[in-house]
Amino acid sequence: MPPAATPKKKGGEKTSTSGGKSLKKKLSKSAEDDEFEQWQKSKQLLKPPDQLELTDAELKEIIPRVLQSLNLQQPDSVVEFSFEQGEFIPKPSPGSAVLVFSQKGTYIHRETDEARKQLIAQGIDPSAFVSTESEEDGAEETTREEAETESDVTEEGSENVGGGETKEAEEEAKPQTGKKLTNQFNFCERAALTYKYPIMSRETQTVPPPTDTFSANILQWIIYDGYQQDYEAQQLEKELERQRREAGRMPTGKQAIKKATGKSSHNEAMQGRIYECWKTLERMLNLSTYDYIAKDYRYWEDPADEFREEEGTLLPLWKFAYDKTKRNTVTDLLWNPFYYDLFAVCLGFLDFMNPIKGGAVLLFTIKNPSFPDYICITESAVMCIDIHKKYPYMLVVGMYDGNVMVYNIQATCKEPAFQSNSVTQKHGSIVWEVKWVEDLPDGEMNFFSVSSDGKVNHWILMQNEFAVTTIINLYLEKEQVRGPDGTLVKRKACATCLTFHPVNPLIYLVGTEEGLIYKCSTAYSTSYLFTYQAHDMPVYRVDYNKLNADVFASCSADWRIKIWEDNRNEPLYVFDLGSCVGDVKWAPYSSTVFGAVTSKGSAYIFDINVNKYKPICVQPVVSRKKYKLTRIAFNNKLPIIICGDDKGCATALKLSPNLRLPCKPPKKQQHLDQHTLQLMKLDKLLSLVREPATLTAPPDPAGSTDS
Amino acid sequence: MADLDQADKKECEGKKIIHTYPIVKNSDMHEEMKLECVEIVVTACEKHSANNEAAARMIKEQMDKKFGPPFHVVVGEGYGFEITYECKTLLYMYFAGTLAICIWKS
Repeated sequence: MPPAATPKKKGGEKTSTSGGKSLKKKLSKSAEDDEFEQWQKSKQLLKPPDQLELTDAELKEIIPRVLQSLNLQQPDSVVEFSFEQGEFIPKPSPGSAVLVFSQKGTYIHRETDEARKQLIAQGIDPSAFVSTESEEDGAEETTREEAETESDVTEEGSENVGGGETKEAEEEAKPQTGKKLTNQFNFCERAALTYKYPIMSRETQTVPPPTDTFSANILQWIIYDGYQQDYEAQQLEKELERQRREAGRMPTGKQAIKKATGKSSHNEAMQGRIYECWKTLERMLNLSTYDYIAKDYRYWEDPADEFREEEGTLLPLWKFAYDKTKRNTVTDLLWNPFYYDLFAVCLGFLDFMNPIKGGAVLLFTIKNPSFPDYICITESAVMCIDIHKKYPYMLVVGMYDGNVMVYNIQATCKEPAFQSNSVTQKHGSIVWEVKWVEDLPDGEMNFFSVSSDGKVNHWILMQNEFAVTTIINLYLEKEQVRGPDGTLVKRKACATCLTFHPVNPLIYLVGTEEGLIYKCSTAYSTSYLFTYQAHDMPVYRVDYNKLNADVFASCSADWRIKIWEDNRNEPLYVFDLGSCVGDVKWAPYSSTVFGAVTSKGSAYIFDINVNKYKPICVQPVVSRKKYKLTRIAFNNKLPIIICGDDKGCATALKLSPNLRLPCKPPKKQQHLDQHTLQLMKLDKLLSLVREPATLTAPPDPAGSTDS
Repeated sequence: MADLDQADKKECEGKKIIHTYPIVKNSDMHEEMKLECVEIVVTACEKHSANNEAAARMIKEQMDKKFGPPFHVVVGEGYGFEITYECKTLLYMYFAGTLAICIWKS
């Protein structure tokens, strides 16, 4: 700060404390603050020294001034004489602008080109000139500011000294500094110019899009061939898709196997191939080992038959057994409906005094009598089996413990694809028979089962479990008995066999341990359609005739086989075999032939067309002392039967020509086919044994018409 | 059953079915573009079934509009060609049993 101010400040301190303080503050401030204040001060209005001093009244006086666009001094309608036309013509109005003074200046702006040229001509560098000028300006500015502050300080100081002197001091100070007044209305904007990056040009060249060449020749036959090929591919795809869908519908344990690591699955594949080789080799060995039997099976027709009337023989062929199930009893036998050389053998037990743990389902083929093709070992004894007609790899088995299982032998024999829940779903007792029925409308497979607990259950194969409903509870039509605690208990029949009507899928027959046969419908769950008082001992098998669905046969432990007609109380035929009849089956090739096996180890073949009283063939199959025969099954295509015994062995037997005589058409009806002839044959027989039509009505309870 | 099926098949073969659906014989377009392109071809060829030139024009215009020019389209019953095309823009297909259509962009 200017040193001149210091003495004045001291003086100020003495008189006024407030003014001194403010001064002190001001002095103590840094240079920056000073600058700011200086800038602010320059903003304050400065009065020119020669400004008039007016009183308040004078200031408030309004001096009106009216401005008009009309210039009264301007002449209007100015005319000019035209010598050309010889008359006055009106001259355009000169307008309201009046030029008072005009002079052309000699100044030029220093940054214009002209100025530069002049400077260069004078030998001065134009850029240097401009910069020095601006520097000079800056210098001038600073000096002026300094002067201003100086004058301010003096002003304040003088104020402090005495109010009267103020004006004088001011008047004195201003001329002293001789500073020029800036235009206070000139507002100058401050701005900053940032660094500007130089513009650069950069070029890139892209690779042209990749191209390729393609050529073809089009002719009508090429297009046609293309379509044919595509169509075939589509058909193939459809076929594959169908197969996949079917495979997908059979949930199996195979997926789990597939999940195994790559190495093991590779090993498995290798094993599979080796297994195939072994199998082929085994077949070849069997072919040579059992060559003579194979020849017998194919060519041996008992020549004695020609000389025997009404009698035939059974020629034993192979024996099928499996070491691990030698102790089990054959509880069911069934030919595969699709592969006519394949049959299933169920191994369980029937001698309930000596229970055997474990059972098995074995699938043998007659091409390989030495070893079963498929082996399904089960925990409990297997009591019955059925093979699906549409999917010949789907087996349903009924167990001794009341469970049912479905095996998909195409996928795996090791574990069942479906198994009933042994807590909530299973039967209360032995499952005696299972039967597949037509698939439901939405393609779900389903089957029926009967058990000793008197229930007929309907099982539907859902995604991976069964849905089970009880169709009927078989109650005996007898009086209720008192239980141990005095409550009345309805007695249940123990079902032992089941068969479905071949034509009407609703109708089925159930044989019971009480010897009754119930004809029921799946549509009714409480009542029977008909009750046959068939036997005195448990019914072991009921079988519909393969050609005439109105006729069925039943066999029982009471040594008898009975042939029934639908809705007729009395049997048409009764045959007594002298021992417990384990099974009876109608032959598929004839309407009048059926076979049966007894516990004495003999197989019987009847042809009621030939002999109404005696079997046409009695063949001891196994030793009557040691073995019992339990089941029999006719092959659908080949002239052979298989019989199962109670030592886990199945024997194949060939029917001699006399046992499978085709019908001879009468001379007048040569055109009729075998099927019609067979039906006619049976009808003729039945008409002989049927009672007169008038008596076919249900028997009168009074019994007056009964003879 | 099997015999019946076979008999059916034989009958079918005897009839000589005329296929009219589109078959894409060769294409390096991506799936969406291919589908759209086949759609365009089917529409055009059905609309101008008697006039291959009009069909080709229609296909070309549509393709240009959808995927940007310049597309080239050949529609015909018998011809040969050798072309250079920009990758991912070729479609060579049959339609209506007699037509071969080739679309590419250069």
